Amino acid sequence: MRGSACFNAVLSLLPISALADAVVEGRVELPKSHSAPVVVKRYEIVTQGGVLSTQPPLAVVYLEGAFPKPKSPPTKQVAQKDLAFLPPLLPIQTGTRVEFPNLDDTYHSVFSYSPAKRFDLGRYRPEERPIPSEAFDTAGLVTLRCDIHEHMRGLILVLNTPYFVMTDAEGRFRLRGLPPGQYTLKAWIDSKTTREKPVALKNGETLHVDFP
Amino acid sequence: MISPANPNKRAVASFRTKLSAAIMVVVSVLTALGLYLAQRNITANAERDLQQEFQTELSSLHRLQELRHAALVERCRILAEKPRIHAALEDNALDLLYPSAKDELRDLMEGGEPAPGQAASTLRARFYRFLDSTGAVLPPPNSKDVGILSKAAEAELAFNKLPDQQQIGYLPDTDSGKEILDEVTAVPIFSTETGDLISALVVGFKPFEPVTRRAGTGILSGTWVDGRLHLPSLSKPARDVLAAEIRGVPMNTDHTQNNFTVHINGAPHLLFYKRLNPNSLFPAAYEICVYPLASWIAQLHQLRWQIGGGGMALLLGGFVASHFVAGRFSKPMEQLAVDSEKNRARRKRAEAALASTSEKLKRSTRYSAGASHQLKSPVAVLRAGLESLLAREGFDSKIYEELSALLHQTHRLAGVIDDLLLLSRMDAGHLEIASEPVNLSQLIDEWLDDLSAVPDSIDVKIEKDFPIELNVAGEKRYTSLIVQNLLENARKYNRRGGRIRVSAQQNADHVLLTIGNTGCPIPREAQPHIFDRFHRGGTGSSISGHGLGLNLARDLARLHGGDIALLRSENDWTEFQVRFPVAQPAPDPAS
Repeated sequence: MRGSACFNAVLSLLPISALADAVVEGRVELPKSHSAPVVVKRYEIVTQGGVLSTQPPLAVVYLEGAFPKPKSPPTKQVAQKDLAFLPPLLPIQTGTRVEFPNLDDTYHSVFSYSPAKRFDLGRYRPEERPIPSEAFDTAGLVTLRCDIHEHMRGLILVLNTPYFVMTDAEGRFRLRGLPPGQYTLKAWIDSKTTREKPVALKNGETLHVDFP
Repeated sequence: MISPANPNKRAVASFRTKLSAAIMVVVSVLTALGLYLAQRNITANAERDLQQEFQTELSSLHRLQELRHAALVERCRILAEKPRIHAALEDNALDLLYPSAKDELRDLMEGGEPAPGQAASTLRARFYRFLDSTGAVLPPPNSKDVGILSKAAEAELAFNKLPDQQQIGYLPDTDSGKEILDEVTAVPIFSTETGDLISALVVGFKPFEPVTRRAGTGILSGTWVDGRLHLPSLSKPARDVLAAEIRGVPMNTDHTQNNFTVHINGAPHLLFYKRLNPNSLFPAAYEICVYPLASWIAQLHQLRWQIGGGGMALLLGGFVASHFVAGRFSKPMEQLAVDSEKNRARRKRAEAALASTSEKLKRSTRYSAGASHQLKSPVAVLRAGLESLLAREGFDSKIYEELSALLHQTHRLAGVIDDLLLLSRMDAGHLEIASEPVNLSQLIDEWLDDLSAVPDSIDVKIEKDFPIELNVAGEKRYTSLIVQNLLENARKYNRRGGRIRVSAQQNADHVLLTIGNTGCPIPREAQPHIFDRFHRGGTGSSISGHGLGLNLARDLARLHGGDIALLRSENDWTEFQVRFPVAQPAPDPAS
């Protein structure tokens, strides 16, 4: 269960309010995968019929609502390693700055023409310092491309919420430290599919939500 | 001899002329045929060479062009796969399309003017445009960056439907008043997300201006597109004329390629055209190559003159040769003519002589026959008179002796007359032999009996050596005459106490009768003449005879198909041999 250990590590990084301790857990029904249903550490972004998704399929579950922006925006990283973005899919809160370190022995040229964020870091080498970075202030899906390696694709899901989590390969998720109240719980499955459910969260309670 | 020589010479001269004319005709025909064939062959060869040269020239050009096209397409394809362009199209960032492309196509658009020698290998674009998914041109934000294009020309770039394969077209436009023709490459752009055809990149390149072409060939090359001719190196009026000529030729299939002859400024040119963009959705464009034929035709003319000159020389030589050959051939003919003329004269003389001789002979024969007849009657009268006188009694015995001698002489006279009559009949050719088998042995025996019964016969011994039955073919009367003549001679010219030898034998065709006798031989010088008429062996007159016997016998023997020859006459021995034809087997079955 190395996979779940990884996810626990991700979950532990989430900013958790001391008071908020509502929990949502459940399962997202993920699209059928062609590969064997085993928990794998690595996945990639694929496009099929104009739809970007991860392969094997993973979902991002997040709680939508009007949450204050963080005072000091966190910094995340999407590295370019072995001619691929790592992680391939990165959910972040708006205002987060993302660094794009080049871990390969070649040039990369990360850019995006997505409406949510247009940027172009230009060509840079592994030893480029400071590490080229961009701040993502608009919510939406940002497609990362490399001008040199046209097959490279990465996704950054910019969300207006600090409460989000990626499911495991079976679609299971668990969101902790949530503030009580009426919200909409959403599950991003691919670039064209986002499911949502209204949730009422109460302190100390664990709500079970499944996305069929 | 001289009088017929003139027509003869004329005939020979005429023969010589005819022969010469015939040879000339043959030589002329052969020469003309040879010239025609050589001319045709040379023309065909020259045409083939020209075509080959032209094709070689063109094919190298085409290879260059194909390479360039491939390079253009490849360049555009690579451009169309650029991530920024894809990102702009796929991530709904059309406003970034042209700016992104500007960076990507910068080297294509801003590369300085290529060096003249590298025009083919250097790809320099004059403009580029993107088409949207409907095939319409996506308007560029700033036409300076993407190459200025007239509105009409820009509209030409649009397709009703995006092409899913690269297309090559030719786009006429004007650039600051100058007519230009752009080589346009359109490459489709497929979405990396959906695989759909989402756009197309259209790049206009400066057309290929080959400068590596050999200077001397004078090939003009241009492009025919949309009913217009782009051939800048040709003056406008000439271009219009050429355009009118091309318009007359249907060029509507994709792979068409052909050539035909056109006239530019009155000079013949070979025009070659080839579709530049087969299977393209752009309007059909043709490469037009014009090759001036003037120098080629001049060369051909010169060649024809040379052949003609050669032919004339050949003909002249042929005439001289024919004259010479005719002379050579007519010489023996001339000789023949002269000879035949001589022969004819000789023959005429011989014929005349023969005719006269024949006439003489006939006359003599007639005379001889007439004389014989005229002579026989008085002899008969004389003999009858003498016999009647001899039968009368009362005369002196001396008178009876006289009468008897006279009667004997009449008998001899009658014999001579008979012989003469026979000879004259033979001479006149009136004597016909009624051939039948004759028993020669019996005949000889009879005559030998008669011989021994002759009263004043000298004492000779007779030797016989022949079979009992020896049948020869002939008329008995004449065969008997031959045998009688020879036997009488053998007795007559014998000596006292001599002998006569008669032998006969038969071979396949003949019976040979040999009669030999002793006695004074015939002198050698007289031997060749013994068979002549009225020749008498050169012997003394003591022996009776009239010199007709041997002649008559030989003529008769020859008339029977045989002959008589003197075998020998020497040392008291004279021998004659008669050859008789053997009698055919008797038709009578009884025998």
